[in-house]
Amino acid sequence: MNRTPLQSLALYGTVVLLAALILFPVYWLLVTAVSTSADLSQLPPSFWPDEAQWGTFAKVWEERPIPLWLLNSMLAAIGSVTLSMVVSVLAGYALSRFTIRGGHSLGLFILTAKMLPATLLVIPLFSIFRNFGMIGSLWTLVLAHSTLIIPFTTWMLKGYFDTIPRELEQAAMVDGCSPMGAMVRVVLPVATPGLAATSLYAFVLSWADYAYARTFLVNAPDSWTANLGITTMRGEYSTDWNEISAAAVFVAVPIIVIYLFLERYLVGGLTAGAEK
Amino acid sequence: MANISIRNVHKSYGAHEVLKPFSLEIADGEFIVLVGPSGCGKSTMLKILAGLEPATGGDIHLGEREVTDLAPGDRDIAMVFQNYALYPHLTVRENIGFGLKMRGTPKAEIERRVLEAARILEVEKYLDRRPKDLSGGQRQRVALGRAIVRQPQAFLMDEPLSNLDAKLRVHMRAEIGALHKRLGVTTVYVTHDQIEAMTMADRVVIMRDGEIQQIADPDTLFQRPDNLFVAGFIGSPGMNFLSADVERSAGGAAITLFGNRIAVDEARLAGASTVIAGIRPEHFHLGEGPATFTVRPSLVESLGSEKYVYFDGGAHMVSAGESEDDTSKGLIARLAHSGPMAEGQDLVLSFDPAELHLFDAVSEKALR
Repeated sequence: MNRTPLQSLALYGTVVLLAALILFPVYWLLVTAVSTSADLSQLPPSFWPDEAQWGTFAKVWEERPIPLWLLNSMLAAIGSVTLSMVVSVLAGYALSRFTIRGGHSLGLFILTAKMLPATLLVIPLFSIFRNFGMIGSLWTLVLAHSTLIIPFTTWMLKGYFDTIPRELEQAAMVDGCSPMGAMVRVVLPVATPGLAATSLYAFVLSWADYAYARTFLVNAPDSWTANLGITTMRGEYSTDWNEISAAAVFVAVPIIVIYLFLERYLVGGLTAGAEK
Repeated sequence: MANISIRNVHKSYGAHEVLKPFSLEIADGEFIVLVGPSGCGKSTMLKILAGLEPATGGDIHLGEREVTDLAPGDRDIAMVFQNYALYPHLTVRENIGFGLKMRGTPKAEIERRVLEAARILEVEKYLDRRPKDLSGGQRQRVALGRAIVRQPQAFLMDEPLSNLDAKLRVHMRAEIGALHKRLGVTTVYVTHDQIEAMTMADRVVIMRDGEIQQIADPDTLFQRPDNLFVAGFIGSPGMNFLSADVERSAGGAAITLFGNRIAVDEARLAGASTVIAGIRPEHFHLGEGPATFTVRPSLVESLGSEKYVYFDGGAHMVSAGESEDDTSKGLIARLAHSGPMAEGQDLVLSFDPAELHLFDAVSEKALR
């Protein structure tokens, strides 16, 4: 389609505007991290400090247990992703492939769990974890995050499995695979883009959590996740926003790295050629 | 290689019977084609044969073994799917060798057999490509390669050519035929295309509404159809049908077609008072003959060496139901004639009553 210069201008203008809107908070986080408290309090604000304080990153890394917080966040996220993916791959595959009485209603019922706000579930979850003596353990986050992730990822994966022709599994079964073997050897490799996208969604959801970590882990500093840890950096009388921002940059880095790593899987098209 | 014995296999979903009791003995090395319109149960039968769908009842023997309850991988069959079903994440080499790998065949043996299959199907050049980098015809060859490499006892093919364009379809049809002659493996082939069925099969099984209509070799199907459906389904263009009342007099029974009184043996009629007469388009001839009549063509289609002449058959015209041809255009004569022929001008046609097919108007069974 040929665009007129005016149409092109409108299109690129919109793209630049949207990109600026999305990237501005990230940019401002960086500006805050490398500014001094004095820079931050001046009006009008400066869009880049006269002297960027890159040393803030090293200072925060040394003075605060950032590595421990990141490790805890990572463990909780990896645990949640692993548990959620195992459950939702099997559930999504079953919902996609098997006709069972009430299967559709069951699928919708799973989704209702996702419709409840996380803050509503925090009280019953707290009560359950307390009864099991788990409060303060990272396992509470793994389980709590999974309750949020599984309903959504199950449906995401069901939708993805629906697009994979059944004949692929049938061919694998004729070739000697068991039904489970056909799923593992053929369906899952073909579903890699779907699995990658779903895992990333699950990871981000767990990584970004604050409410559950605050509720279940606040009295166990050794288990603090990065998001919870950062909030403890606020002082009673003064707050070093540049240090908080520098810590927030550390929290954002793993997600960016993971995005870059999974980007090629997120692009679909692997199934091209399976059929006509 | 082995013979296949299908005994009273049937399939129901609740009260809905999609496959009525189906029995068929397939000889070792035979090429059987299941053909019929959509929803006739042919693919269901093939999937039951493959073990991909359980039968509600009946049993299946492959050679000496009963395979009714065996998993697909334990049946020693190979299947070619309509959409090829190649594994998109594997190369052509890995696709062809997948079945052997699953059976624990040594690597060197897999490589040898994959190369042999690739050579037979002329896909050696593409062994390291992924399916998405192949054309439709090449994918189909790889799908065939995946089937032949295992040297199974039987091939099952589910409309393997229907995704190819017309020219490639004719080519691959011949290749599958040649492959069958070369390997001699018992083959069950499903299609809705009667031309594929007629050109490839040793015997054709015609199905409709989950029920076998006739099992016969292609020539018998064409010349001696058992019922109205088979008569209408086989042949292109399809058979013309006209209803006719039987007139009985001292001189014997007769029917009237296009103004010609045609004597019919009473024994053949089996007491029927109304029959459906069938005549194939190619059994009409230009000019006078044993039974002559004049028509005014409503449409003339020229195919070069022959012409399809459509004309109105009047109120007695009968549709065979699921015939592939459009009967709303009227009756059709296929005439070997390359000269000019105009629509709207009277044309003298004839036919030989000996070539008429008669069917009972109620049961639709052939009257012979």
